[in-house]
Amino acid sequence: MSSIPVIAQTAGKGAARSAAKRRKAKLAGPDRRPGWVTYVILVIVLLISAYPLYYVIQLASSDSLTIVRNPIPGLLPQGNLFTNFSRVFDSNIPLVKGFINSLTIAVVQSITVVIFSTLAGYSFAKLRFRGRGPLLVFVIATMAIPSQLGIVPLFIVMSEIGWSGKIIAVIVPGMVTAFGVFWMTQYLEGALPYELIEAARVDGASMIRTFWHIAMPAARPAAAMLALFTFIGSWTAFFWPFIILGSKNPTLPMVMQLLNSNYFTDFSLVMAGVLLSTLPLVVVFAFAGRHLVAGIMAGAVKG
Amino acid sequence: MAVLSPPKPSSDEDRIPRRIAFSQKVGRWDVKLSPYLYISPFFILFAITGLFPLIYTGYVSLFDWHLIAGKRAFVGFDNFDAVLHSPSFWKALRNTFSIFLLSSVPQVVMAIILAAVLSANLRAKTFWRMGVLLPYVVAPVAVGLIFGKLFADESGLINAVLTHIGLDPVRWHVDILPSHFAISTMVNFRWTGYNTLIFLAAMQAIPRDLYEAAILDGAGRLRQFFSITIPQLRPTLIFVIITSTIGGLQIFDEPRMFSSGGDGGASRQWMTVTMYLYELGWGNQKSFGRASAVALLLFLIIVIIGLINFLITTRIATSGDIKVKKSKSRNSNNRRTR
Amino acid sequence: MTSIIRTRRMATVVAGASIFALTLSACSSDGTEKTPEASKGADGNITLTVATFNQFGYTPELLKEYEDANPGIKVEQTVAALSGDARTNLTTRLAAGGDGLADVEAIEVDWMPELSEIADSFEDLAGPDVTGRYVPWKEAQGTADGKLIGLGTDIGPEAICYRADLFEAAGLPSDREGVAELLGGKDATWEKYFEVGHQFVANSDSAWFDSAVAIMQSQIGQLPAAYENASTGEPTDLASNTVIKGMYDTILTESVDLSARLGMWGDDWAAGFQSNAFATMPCPPWMTSVISGNADGVDGWNVADVFPGGGGNWGGSFLTVPSTGKNTAEAAKLATWLTAPEQQAKAFASAGTFPSQIEAQALPQVKDATNEFFADAPVGQIFSNRANQISATPPFKGLNYFAIQQIVMDALNRVDIDGGKADDSWNLALTNFGELGF
Repeated sequence: MSSIPVIAQTAGKGAARSAAKRRKAKLAGPDRRPGWVTYVILVIVLLISAYPLYYVIQLASSDSLTIVRNPIPGLLPQGNLFTNFSRVFDSNIPLVKGFINSLTIAVVQSITVVIFSTLAGYSFAKLRFRGRGPLLVFVIATMAIPSQLGIVPLFIVMSEIGWSGKIIAVIVPGMVTAFGVFWMTQYLEGALPYELIEAARVDGASMIRTFWHIAMPAARPAAAMLALFTFIGSWTAFFWPFIILGSKNPTLPMVMQLLNSNYFTDFSLVMAGVLLSTLPLVVVFAFAGRHLVAGIMAGAVKG
Repeated sequence: MAVLSPPKPSSDEDRIPRRIAFSQKVGRWDVKLSPYLYISPFFILFAITGLFPLIYTGYVSLFDWHLIAGKRAFVGFDNFDAVLHSPSFWKALRNTFSIFLLSSVPQVVMAIILAAVLSANLRAKTFWRMGVLLPYVVAPVAVGLIFGKLFADESGLINAVLTHIGLDPVRWHVDILPSHFAISTMVNFRWTGYNTLIFLAAMQAIPRDLYEAAILDGAGRLRQFFSITIPQLRPTLIFVIITSTIGGLQIFDEPRMFSSGGDGGASRQWMTVTMYLYELGWGNQKSFGRASAVALLLFLIIVIIGLINFLITTRIATSGDIKVKKSKSRNSNNRRTR
Repeated sequence: MTSIIRTRRMATVVAGASIFALTLSACSSDGTEKTPEASKGADGNITLTVATFNQFGYTPELLKEYEDANPGIKVEQTVAALSGDARTNLTTRLAAGGDGLADVEAIEVDWMPELSEIADSFEDLAGPDVTGRYVPWKEAQGTADGKLIGLGTDIGPEAICYRADLFEAAGLPSDREGVAELLGGKDATWEKYFEVGHQFVANSDSAWFDSAVAIMQSQIGQLPAAYENASTGEPTDLASNTVIKGMYDTILTESVDLSARLGMWGDDWAAGFQSNAFATMPCPPWMTSVISGNADGVDGWNVADVFPGGGGNWGGSFLTVPSTGKNTAEAAKLATWLTAPEQQAKAFASAGTFPSQIEAQALPQVKDATNEFFADAPVGQIFSNRANQISATPPFKGLNYFAIQQIVMDALNRVDIDGGKADDSWNLALTNFGELGF
């Protein structure tokens, strides 16, 4: 499933901002703290959303026999976590290569998506040109096209040009997204005052210079979030890489799939692989999670 | 296609980009061409990796096109005929819809409720919000593996617990509905928190005066929720439902990982349309022609469902909206704030 | 001012990140473009990749041996657990023009036929070292379009593996000779096998065999031509294939009492080895390492020199060299070496894959081999005997064998594992057969 973040297009940036202001003003007043029932509900929700990850640790730190014999794992992790990690590295599934591939794809796509989307978003939001309206509608409309629609021709073409089996075949189709363009258009519309652009232009700055010195800095908060979304999306993508790359040059989700189909009888090993593949994003989440939350919620209200 | 236009924020009447005063002749072309230049990466890439494959899919679907042997004979609409007469296609369609409904409906309901809970004036707001979002960073493949094990028939945690409390174990990997339920659970696990935050943002943007007025009118909390919150969430609701339709009908990763073979079960009881597409193109039949036909049919279905969604949600939400407007007309300008 | 400073910093960040990314893609394109095909590194080394599945017995030590004997050559192996996965990967990569294929690709006998159509994608491996070293039917299976595209690795002469402890507890003979005798010795039949099974389950909590598909697989291996016309290669209409339907009905009837109903290769199946779920298994030599792996810590496994219906072959593989590789000559050398008698003998010792080479079968380390896990059974002798029982003309398997086989096996699983009705499931199989569109 690929849902996409929604921002100001539904709630409205201005609305969000004014609501935020109002909340702040009223904090002392009627907005009383909720009772303990609310917190109990939240703790339960939190347990549900975190337990599957803990279950991974439980299994990854166990061994295959224990898992087979005790479907209900012990509450505390067992002691085999690092043994299982090293077994994953020793297995014939190229985890390290998968990591490098996933990282490369995610980093390159994040950068290109941000740059191309900001360029296009700036153009749509702040520049005037013939066909702007229809073209923007077209961009939005393309978001409704299922990505799998063109999978067969894409496979044929990639094979023809010899990209099949190489990560460039995964990178290129995701170098810019309709969502990214839409997102940056949305953001820059509100965050970038015309006065700034005009001032730069009056000073004689060229279009691209104006973009680079005025629009890019203004776009930063939204760009960071877009990069984060793109990174997560690339990191977790499976279908297309699975089809085009082949088992010898996998991404991390493919590594997990390969581990499973090779060692499904030994779930401690498979789960150790799942843990190793998931951990990097969890770490990113620990540091940048609040930005992700903010990104999903308000499209950078701060901007 | 136009399904996404309602949330489109800046109608041109609201804000016409001001012409940037600039009269020097130098850089005239710069001004004229730059906008096109800046949007060109998207359009060029889309033309190559989006539009062209789309058209080419139509072309391939008219041929007997073998995975390895390549293009063979022109067969007209035979591929569509074969697919539409194949029980497996309809079974895949049934599975996809069943999984889609089992995931999207409870998910939206849960997300709205959770958003309402989170919209309270909590301590450590960010912590709770990050908490519900945590599953989002787990790759669908990993989710599929984890839940595939949790729902294992013989040695899974869930059946063990069921047996423990004296219930019969469920045959998650055998029976149709249980397998759909298990797969939907994976989808819900990963996406509920995400959608919760979207709804939360939308809820916080609802003007307070609406609630204040409702309180003055004597409306209770529930009444407020159904008469103000839900109608005000309309654009968000449409957006969430449409994106989850586009994504949900293409579901592949989770059902693929639900069993180690990845074939969707012995009776293909949880094989989705995309898995069927893969099976046709890269599995035993190796028929790119038929796979392309399935891709186009899927596209058609998504567009139709998107339109239906749009009509239904518009209707439901507007009817609620009107009530609110009647009682509190002075707030009718609230949606202009964007 | 601040905005300019910020911009600079941002530019630096972007530039830094781009360089980082480019370095990474450079690194990994190094990995992607060169490793899949063999490549000459800066030091003149050639890396050859070998893709196998399941257990081929190509241990790191064995590959090291080749590297030592051939300076400048490095050998890397990738292993898929399920031959089906390996097959999909191979055909997909072939369709993609060969990118991402290994230099040496292992192929199972069941999907060898579908590759004969594209025999020109593979190197001809015939040569003085190779010709005549295989049992003749194995060599025939590896030949397509007059080219020897597959060098035989192992063959799968079937015996019966069984749990001596469970036999004893059920009051049956439990030693190898006794069990062979019990199942009919030289005249063993499937009827007899099922009959003893009923005796067994009457006195035991365990089932007789693991799954219906294992039995079906074995019986199909004994047919001269299961799903296709041997002379024309045309698929037989499944609806009128009374032999298959007969087997299907009998096996499913017997399975009601005798099968442990475990989906073969699934995790519940693997767990079944630990929980005494079943007492016997049709057992080609490569299965012994599967059993000893899954039943780790379980005592009592043994193997009897007997098989219902006489001889039967299950599985066995080939090594091929795809023509798209960069070092096909070196790859062919490696494949020839790996399938040479001495190496096959070593593979047999480590993974139980029984050699398809006549000379290797006669080597003392094969002939006199015993297997500790199976109560020191003389597996070399037993599987040699079983191999001699295999019919000289291998079963005919055509282009569509694998696809039809999968449909029939799914049909059995729907009943045996999922508890469906045999008739409904067969009808669905007929539908699926129709969808293949012959």
